Amino acid sequence: MKKHPFHLVDPSPWPLFTGFSTFVLTVGAAMYMHGYQGGGIVLSLGLLMVIYSLFVWWRDVVREATFEGHHTTPVQLGLRYGMILFILTEILLFAAFFWAFFHSSLAPTVEIGAVWPPKGIEVLNPWEIPFLNTVLLLSSGASVTWAHHAILAGNRQQALNGLILTIVLAVIFTGFQAYEYIEAPFTISDGIYGSTFYMATGLHGFHVIMGTLFLSVCLYRLYNYHFTKQHHFGFEAAAWYWHMVDVVWLFLFVCVYYWGG
Amino acid sequence: MWRGTAAARLLLRACASSPVLQQHTQQLLPPLQSACRPAILLPVTRWIQTKAALRSHGGGQLDEFGIATGAEREELEAKREGKKRFDLDPPRGPFGTHDAPAIVESHYDVRIVGCSGGVGEDEHDVTWFHLEKGKPYECPVCSQVFQLKVTGVGGQPGHDEHH
Repeated sequence: MKKHPFHLVDPSPWPLFTGFSTFVLTVGAAMYMHGYQGGGIVLSLGLLMVIYSLFVWWRDVVREATFEGHHTTPVQLGLRYGMILFILTEILLFAAFFWAFFHSSLAPTVEIGAVWPPKGIEVLNPWEIPFLNTVLLLSSGASVTWAHHAILAGNRQQALNGLILTIVLAVIFTGFQAYEYIEAPFTISDGIYGSTFYMATGLHGFHVIMGTLFLSVCLYRLYNYHFTKQHHFGFEAAAWYWHMVDVVWLFLFVCVYYWGG
Repeated sequence: MWRGTAAARLLLRACASSPVLQQHTQQLLPPLQSACRPAILLPVTRWIQTKAALRSHGGGQLDEFGIATGAEREELEAKREGKKRFDLDPPRGPFGTHDAPAIVESHYDVRIVGCSGGVGEDEHDVTWFHLEKGKPYECPVCSQVFQLKVTGVGGQPGHDEHH
């Protein structure tokens, strides 16, 4: 009989396999970027291996939690701490690229005309697609909160509706960003403006895609009755992550699109 | 949702009507409950059956804890009765004396115990010691007396069957 509430995980191959996969990914990326033969293949293989690792590892977490009942209250508390700390690291990651943006834009050098935006850069109108994207993400933040309240109330249909709406809004946002990226008059290679703009918004877009995938997994689990009114931490973690993504966009809109334009 | 099971039925019916798959099925599969189920679809139909089972389970036979199981369910059931399945809080009680020692429950015959004294001014830094069965122990700082009460299997703490 178990005398403690903690989850001592059964031996698993996934941590080692994930480490190996990220190694293949890194070597492949280096090979590809330096023009080595077979670089693309190794990179693609590494990418597939990492995606597979994430899938099998998290699938096991769902099995241990939902189907084996290992996630007692203290275990959940640990997961909450973990997710909050992870989100903190993501915020610090974005802080680095915001720092780079402000470093170059607050004191623009003579080489770019001592102005920001630099001479010759045709910036995007913040009140066109970027503002629409802001509204989309803010709305998705509201819809995910709606879904959460529905789960708390035990209202399955509304929870599904709220979560589906959130994912739809997220996909539309990504679509508009992709359109902007294709149609923008400047590229990542267009000086310091291009570098800071695409690094910050690109990293954000990557996080939007990850957040959308996380929410989609939650939709699958919600549909298949994994969550209960009291216990649905996977959903809460996804919602926290999504709110972080939303807040980062607000900073991007204000600093990069509006002030930087 | 009806969509899931309808799709499964359509899939099976489609495969049953396919001559290639039927031939293949007859060659490979020994008698199955459903003769029109090709081997390759087995993982898919198993998954759909599991989903159906989960859905029907959600249809009305669940108690207030839903699909909770294992340690989580034990925790919830104990909470419903007002008890704690896993108690992580340090034990509290009246100051232990020789006549009425502070009782510390233990699964084994010996347990590590820490005494922090009485309340307010009588509190001191935690003093740790082994408390053994049948040997009441007096705290060297505040003289509080402790006694072990074995509520579990007893014996020496060692390697468990499960952790």
